[in-house]
This record gives sequence, structure tokens and C-alpha cells, in this order.
Amino acid sequence: MTLNRDFFVAVFFLVLVAVMYAATYSLPEPMFNQLASWTWPRVILVPLGALSVVLLIQSQTSGLEPATFSGLTDWFRDNTNPFLCFALFFGFLYLMPLLGMLLGGLLYVFLTLCVLGGWQPRQMALHVAISAVFVVGMWSIFSLALGVVLPEGTILRVY
Amino acid sequence: MFENIALAAPELFTLTTMMLMLAGTLAGLLAGAVPGFTIAMAVVLVLPFTFSMSPVQGLATMIAVYVGGLSGGLMSGILTGIPGTPSSVATTFDGYPLARSGKPGLALGIGIWSSFFGGVFAAIVLMLVAPQLALIGLEFQPVDYFSLIIFALTVTASLAGDQMVKGLMSGLLGLLVATVGSDVVFGQPRFTFGVDAAEQGFAFLPVLVGIFAFGRLLGDVQNREKAHQPLGGEAHAVHIDYLGAAREVLRRWGNVLRSSAIGVFVGVLPAAGSTISNVLAYDQAKKTSKEHDQFGKGAVDGIIAPEAANNATAGGALIVMMALGLPGDIMTAIMLGALLIHDVIPSPSFITDEPTIAYAIFLAFFVANFMMLALQSVTVRGFVLITKVKLYMLSAVILFYCALGMFALNNVTWDMWTLFFFGIVGFLMRALGFPIVPLVLGVVLGGIAEARLSQVFARSDDVMVFLSRPWSLFFLMLACFSIFFPLYQKHRGKAAWTGYYPSLLLVVMAYPVFLMPGTIRPVIAAGMIVAGLGLAVLQLRRGRAPQTTE
Repeated sequence: MTLNRDFFVAVFFLVLVAVMYAATYSLPEPMFNQLASWTWPRVILVPLGALSVVLLIQSQTSGLEPATFSGLTDWFRDNTNPFLCFALFFGFLYLMPLLGMLLGGLLYVFLTLCVLGGWQPRQMALHVAISAVFVVGMWSIFSLALGVVLPEGTILRVY
Repeated sequence: MFENIALAAPELFTLTTMMLMLAGTLAGLLAGAVPGFTIAMAVVLVLPFTFSMSPVQGLATMIAVYVGGLSGGLMSGILTGIPGTPSSVATTFDGYPLARSGKPGLALGIGIWSSFFGGVFAAIVLMLVAPQLALIGLEFQPVDYFSLIIFALTVTASLAGDQMVKGLMSGLLGLLVATVGSDVVFGQPRFTFGVDAAEQGFAFLPVLVGIFAFGRLLGDVQNREKAHQPLGGEAHAVHIDYLGAAREVLRRWGNVLRSSAIGVFVGVLPAAGSTISNVLAYDQAKKTSKEHDQFGKGAVDGIIAPEAANNATAGGALIVMMALGLPGDIMTAIMLGALLIHDVIPSPSFITDEPTIAYAIFLAFFVANFMMLALQSVTVRGFVLITKVKLYMLSAVILFYCALGMFALNNVTWDMWTLFFFGIVGFLMRALGFPIVPLVLGVVLGGIAEARLSQVFARSDDVMVFLSRPWSLFFLMLACFSIFFPLYQKHRGKAAWTGYYPSLLLVVMAYPVFLMPGTIRPVIAAGMIVAGLGLAVLQLRRGRAPQTTE
């Protein structure tokens, strides 16, 4: 058995199908001739499970190289930028109730620009300018021109 | 038709709408011109601004961006050799050599006029064909519509070629995502796993933006060096030779018409899109041109074909969305989302029920092509400036903008979390070799499919209805053929059975057509059988020898 990338993907999908299929048993029964809540999900899950098995079989015949721990770490290293961006975006959303869209946005865009572009003083000055112009600009368009009530954040509410 | 145009025109031709369309076309042209920045992303970014507009204004603006984006790709393709969008890949084959030979203005002009004529051709076809196709669509019962969705998903997955299994899995995962939240029939929470916010389900626009735009932007900054590069190569502003180019294009009107027709046809096919049509039209132009030895060295026909085709593809995609309520690609999926936001539900009765909006869309598509023509000169200068911006700067700002726009959709933070979550999903799926388009279409069509299925079951619990209704059978059989299509493509010319695949398709598909009411369709069915048998006989006469293909 070759433990390659597609093998793990297929196993993940099989687990997902099993969990979701089990969850359909907690859905209510239909009344009269109506479509039960679980019918459509099961219609999807059965072929998805079957295709996962096909992928599992294909993974053993496709000649894909086995996944290794070093291969995984290489992949993470190659994707440092996207993962940092995801982490910063998570932080932006997590801190939204505290910082709000404006302050949170300024901080998020500035940090993302610095993480991707560099931390030299000249670059940072440019990043501050970009963050200020675009975040304040878009915030103004949405909140003032389009009338969207954007999250204010407890900091701005207090001060 | 003219009554409806008269109804729609006053709605569309207001100063505000025209200004919005001009801004949209300009934005689309610039976005299309920037390599790595797709048209879909431009349409996604414009979407939040349309929430506060009327349906006509919002859709007209988005169509303007769409048309502008399709034409914008030619600028970077011709001036720098880097296609602005995948839909202008083939334009670079001859556009760049012609520009390098000292005629950049002529090359740009040819591209612009071809885009314009392709767009106008598609607008006319759209206006004539969509209402007729919608009339056929009105015959569809829920069971037929459900089967049509299944066909749309299988054909989308089949375009994944060797990755067919992953394509199908991607589509099914999309359908599964759409089941989370309140169920269609009872409104009861489903698959929420104790998360209260999940009861509202995943709004499909944050899902779509997350999977498509968010995932792609992060893919662009993956490489540190690439992230620090300016968006375009070395581009310089040039004077566009409109008159000389118009003469060249009009002299080759046959190529314009053929390429436009290819574009519309490809646009009608689900998920095919302008990425395919521009290469297909280029290939056809090369085969039929008297100057085919000039292709790749700056042939005028080599610029006309892809540019006419990619703009015409938009018309084809709009035909299906307007007539059947089915999105054929990412762009029309976003437009479908925009329609839903304005409480307009696209379906086969859309053109009849909402003639003002429908015909305003037709007109907007027509007008946007004229705007594109007028704005190209301005955009060339803007493009030269934009190419100096570094990719990472654009990505950081757009990521924030995506969050802001998705929050504005329903004023709930949950939509931003949805964006984040599906950004990760999209990024991982790309990395693992899963095609993204079936996933997106699955999410968009999942709710519609379940609603139609519930209507089928409300009438009868007999599943044979899927096979006894001619249209349903027609789409299900097509779905089966589309599943085997990648296999056919792979073995075409190598295995004997592939020679009989088209004949079998024609003969088998004739059966549901024969069952349809009226007199014309059985006649068409008879024609299909004759053609299918004729092809089979021809194949037999070739002595069962495998066909040779390029």
C-alpha cells in the first residue's frame, strides 16, 4: 500500500462522508409526500463515498510518490506566505469585535503588506500610506456613501 | 421583443446607469489588462457596490465589467506578451509578434475591433436566441430542471479531463456545502453540529469569493519573488491605429463571424468559457486561413479570431443564464447571485416575468461593447501605470476589500468567517489537484437542485419519472455521455470504439427527442438517427481503422 497524497485525500473524504451520513440520522422524518431532510444529502453522500473509494484505488495504481514528513514540511515552507496571510486574516476576524472594521482593517492590511513586502523603514512608510488610503477610502465609501453599518469595535465605542 | 426593449431602455439609459457602466467598463478593461488579475475577480470586487443599486443598474455595471475585462486582456497580451487573462492567451501568439515588428498600434486596434464585433455579434444572438430558448425552458417540469442541473455538473466535471474523479467529487462537495443550514422543505437546521450561526447556512457569494478570489490571491503571493514583481512587464503607451485596424478587420469579416459563432457556442456549454473559445477559434482560423504560414509571426487573422471569440463567449454564457437560470461559468454564477440579492430568481420564466430586467441586460451587453471601444485609448495609459504596482500590494488590499464586501452582503460577521473558511478550502483543493469550477457550480446549484427535487417528490414518489419525461431523459443521457467524454478524448484516434462514439451519441439521443411533443422534434430525431447511422457506416468503410488526430 502506498501512502501518497491522494490516499490521504480519499481517506479524508471517506471520513467526511461517514460523519455526514451518520448526521443525517438525526434529521426529522418527512410528512406526507414531502422530501425528507436527509434524502438530498444522502443522494450526494452515496456517490461521493463511491468516488472516494475510486480515488483510493486510483491512488494505489497511479504511481504517485508516497507522502513523507519532509515532503509535508517542504510544502508548508513553500506556502509560508499564504499561511501567514490566513493567520493574519484569522486575527483580523477574531479581533473584529474589539478593533472594528476600520482599526482592524488598517492593522490587518499594514501587517499583511509588511509580512509580504518587508519590514525596511522605507517599505513600512509606503505600507502605512497604502493602508491608510485604501482602508480609510473603502471604509468611507461603504459606511458613508453606501450606508452600510460596519462593525465599530469596542475600542472606538469607548473612546 | 421591441415592446420589451422599449420598456427596458428608459430604465437603462439614465445618466447614473450610463456613468456606472462607463466606470465598470474602465475598471474591467484595467482589471483584464493586469496579468494574474482575472475578470471574475473584477466582477466579484464590483459586486458589493451593486447591493445598494437597482437590479438594472447593478447588473448593467457588472456586465460592463465583464465585457471590459474580456477586452482588457488583449492590452497586456499584445504590449508585453503576457496575457492579461486566460481568455486572451491565443491573442499573444500573433499580437505580440506584430507589436514587436513595429506595429503595436495596429495590433491593438485589430484586437479592439475584433472584440467589439465579437461582442456585438453575441449581443444580437443573445437577444434573438435567449427568449426562444426560454420558451423551450418553459416546458421544463421540476424533474427536467433537476436533470439539467445534474448534466451541468457532470459536463463541468468532465472538463477536468484526467482528473474526472476529482472533478465529480468537487461538484458533489459543492452540493454538500449547499445542504448546510436550514433545509429547503422544513426550514429545520441541518448539519450545523451545534454552531448556531451555521443555521443560516453558507451564503454562496462568500463561499464563491473565498474559493475563487481569496484562494487565488494567496496562490499568487505564494512565491516571494513573484509577489515582489510588478504586475506587468515593460509596457509603453502607444497610439491605437483605429482606422487602419478597422479596414484590416472588415476585410476579414468571414473570420470575425466564424470566430464569434465559435465563441457563442462555447459560451453556451456549461463551464467551457472564453479560456477555451479563444484557443479553439485561433486553431480554426489557422486551419482555414490562406496565410497560415504567417501564424505565430504576427498574422492579422491570429489576432482577430481569439479576440472575437472571447467577447462572444460572454453572450453565449448569458444566453443560458437568462433563458434557463443556469450559470455556465464563474461570471454568470456571480451575476446569478446578484440577481438573487435583488430578489429576482432566474428561471426559464425569468424573461417573461421580468422583461424589463432581462431586456435591460441584453441592451447593457450591447452598449458595453461600444463603451469598451471608446475607452480603450484611455485604458492603455492607465494600464502602463498599473503595471508598475507590485502584486503583493494589490493582494493585501483586495483581501481586506473582499472581507468588507462580504460583510456588506448581509451585515453579519458570519459571512466573513465563511469567506475565510472557504478561502482555506479553495487553497487546499487547488493544491491537491481538485478543479475549482465544479465546486463553485455545486454550491450555486445545490439549493436549486434540492428545491426542484422536493417539487418532484411532492407530486409523486415514483423515481421512474426521471426516465419517462423526455427532457429529463435527454439531460440524464447527455450527463452519461459527458462522464465518458474524457475517456473518449483520451483514446480518440487510438481505440476503434472512439470512432463510433459520435454515432452512438446521435442515435441514442434521438430517442428522447423522438418522445417530445410536436412534429418538428420527431423529424429532428429521425435526422439524428440518419446522421448517426451515416457516421457509423463511414467508420465501418474506413475498415475500422483508427482515426488519426493531431
